[in-house]
Amino acid sequence: MFFRLYRYGLIRSSRDRMMIFWNLIFPVILGSLFHVAFGNYTDKEVLFHQVPVAYVQEEGADGNFALLLEALETENGLIQVQKTSQEKAEKLLQEGEAEGIFFQKKTGAGEQSLEGLAGQENSGISLVVAEQGINQTILNSILEQYERTSATFIAIGKEHPEGIQKAAEVLEGEYSYLKEGSLGDAASNSILDYFYSLIAMDCLMGAVMGLQCAVEFKANLSALAARRMAAGVSRFRMLWPDLAAKVTLQFVYIIFSVSYLMFALDVPLGDQWGFLLLTLFSGGVLGVFLGFFIGVCGKMPYQMKEALCVTIMMVSSFFSGLMVSGIQRLIERYVPVFARINPASLITKACCSLNIYDTYGRYLENMGIMLALTAALAAGSFLIVRRERYAGI
Amino acid sequence: MTFVMAGNDRGHYCRQIFFGKIKKNKEPGSQDFPAVDGSRCWGIRVYRKECLEMAKKVVEIENLVKRYKELIALDHLNLAIEEGEVFGLLGPNGSGKTTAINCILALLHFDKGSVKVFGEEMQPDSYGSKRQIGVVLQNVAVFEELTVQENIDYFCGLYVQEKQVRKQYVEEAIEFSGLEDFRKFYPKKLSGGLLRRLNIACGIAHKPKLIIMDEPTVAVDPQSRNRILEGIQKLNRDGATIIYTSHYMEEVEQICSRIAILDKGRCVASGTKEELKSMIKMGEKIHMEAEGLAPYQIAEIKELRHVYQVDYRDGMLEIRCSGGKHNLVHILEYFGSREIGFGRVYSELPTLNDVFLEITGKDLRDHAEVK
Repeated sequence: MFFRLYRYGLIRSSRDRMMIFWNLIFPVILGSLFHVAFGNYTDKEVLFHQVPVAYVQEEGADGNFALLLEALETENGLIQVQKTSQEKAEKLLQEGEAEGIFFQKKTGAGEQSLEGLAGQENSGISLVVAEQGINQTILNSILEQYERTSATFIAIGKEHPEGIQKAAEVLEGEYSYLKEGSLGDAASNSILDYFYSLIAMDCLMGAVMGLQCAVEFKANLSALAARRMAAGVSRFRMLWPDLAAKVTLQFVYIIFSVSYLMFALDVPLGDQWGFLLLTLFSGGVLGVFLGFFIGVCGKMPYQMKEALCVTIMMVSSFFSGLMVSGIQRLIERYVPVFARINPASLITKACCSLNIYDTYGRYLENMGIMLALTAALAAGSFLIVRRERYAGI
Repeated sequence: MTFVMAGNDRGHYCRQIFFGKIKKNKEPGSQDFPAVDGSRCWGIRVYRKECLEMAKKVVEIENLVKRYKELIALDHLNLAIEEGEVFGLLGPNGSGKTTAINCILALLHFDKGSVKVFGEEMQPDSYGSKRQIGVVLQNVAVFEELTVQENIDYFCGLYVQEKQVRKQYVEEAIEFSGLEDFRKFYPKKLSGGLLRRLNIACGIAHKPKLIIMDEPTVAVDPQSRNRILEGIQKLNRDGATIIYTSHYMEEVEQICSRIAILDKGRCVASGTKEELKSMIKMGEKIHMEAEGLAPYQIAEIKELRHVYQVDYRDGMLEIRCSGGKHNLVHILEYFGSREIGFGRVYSELPTLNDVFLEITGKDLRDHAEVK
């Protein structure tokens, strides 16, 4: 009987168009929209664009700043300098072809040397911008850094001229006390968090399937369930094949969605296929049992249970980072208990840890909590429906 | 003394009649009852009681009480349903018919009393008894995503494991319900009548011994209704015991061998159609079209022999007579002697609605129409 009822469960669920849309097509659409919104999120160089700036230098002005701008353009690729006259510079600014104008006035005659800077109090450089923004902030930072460094050298030149050479050496050397490294094959990428959350939401979509299973099982929710409960078959012999069919179909839908993300949209979700599939399967099972538990609990009408199911799904997905990047870290910091039991967060963190870490401690921790949640939901559901009679139908 | 067998012997073998002194009492089924050949029968009450005890009881409900907070849905209900009969549960909406059914199926908690099916106390896990029950609920209970054939196969498969046997049963159920041309149709494509037939097919495909039908003809066209009723009679002829609930007295009168009338959770009367009708005072109801009748004339009509109630409304006279013969003749003689003109005249025998009305003071039909 199991396989016969399982087959009918698969047939029924696969013909349910609403289920196909929400569990299969909607995640694909959402993933495509994410891809369009975030673009080439794996290419860091493409993310940053050079800042165009105009440079107007009075004749006879100090040439150190010009050297700095040239270095920033050729070595770092931070800015794109256009040396021009004042009129042309203003025109470029107005037309938006330059984000700002560096004006350098002639402040005093002197050699372009460190010693020559000692006599100068004011760099004579100003920045003119048309609006506020990140590019203008970058230009302003360049100017401020230059003026600060200049003032430092002027002060050293005045008080300890013998230390000028040493100061120059320090400025030339770049010391970084932080080094980015990855514990796994891929680096952490905040954009990928959106896709992990999308996968988690897809897994939790199984809750709607689980709820439907409960409706077809509780005699006070549907006439169909009343007929089934009046049948001469143990409840659990009818229930297991139905749940198994729902889990199977949900797993197939999730695999389809994830395959689309990985192969059609080139989202780098790692190459640990076995563990990833295990995570997806566990997530699907958790989603189905979550919906089933909501369905068998309480005396609310079906519509209220459906609303509750969707609310839990979306709230859970929201706090796993589906809509706001970084919220997971906030929740982890301020409400750690919720972070530990939020189903979507568990799935997200499990997927993420497969990609980032080279050990499985974090992964196993999340999987363990997921399985414990699933077991608790399943046990609770079965205890409720076992030998159940109703006060009213 | 002469013994006469009356009725067919399926479930009616208790109707052994002998000619002797009759004992009249007030209990249902104990009043004067005409025999098959038209003459008065004697001693039927004594034999019927003995026969009832001999007949196998499929369903026994004793002292059943079910409350929904302050509302008493079933109020010390007692019913006994014998094997092989078509037992009708008649009553207005809210009388407790569906609640009683759900208690029989162990779907509902009840506060007091007991329910036995096939001699066993009915529990949610009484799978042995449930395997012999077929259920046709008031609301259509089929899977929208499965075709007609798949639906019947699914529900039959809950009871019948062998594939070949099940296949045969499904074919017979499709043929029985006249759905041969609709095998591949989905329920949403079927009309109301066809959907009801599918609902019935799903409930009877596994050939149960006891079939419970809860208002199976609600919102069904007359053609489908007739087909359904004929099908029920065929199922009974094939050996099934049927519990049929309805608020349509015509259906119940047509197919049920024994009827219980429920009102406010209580069984107010039970017995065969004839027994129920013989319980009430009214033996005949005469309708006459007569314009301009004066109150004194109505009072005179009421004085006529066997007339116990006269209603005159909108030019229509309704005269209830308590039995006796030739009531219409007496009334026509009166009209003739007074030279009172009249139009249409017709007489009808008491219906179950009249039984309900006289017992409860309410109209069964009005209750049905209100809802």
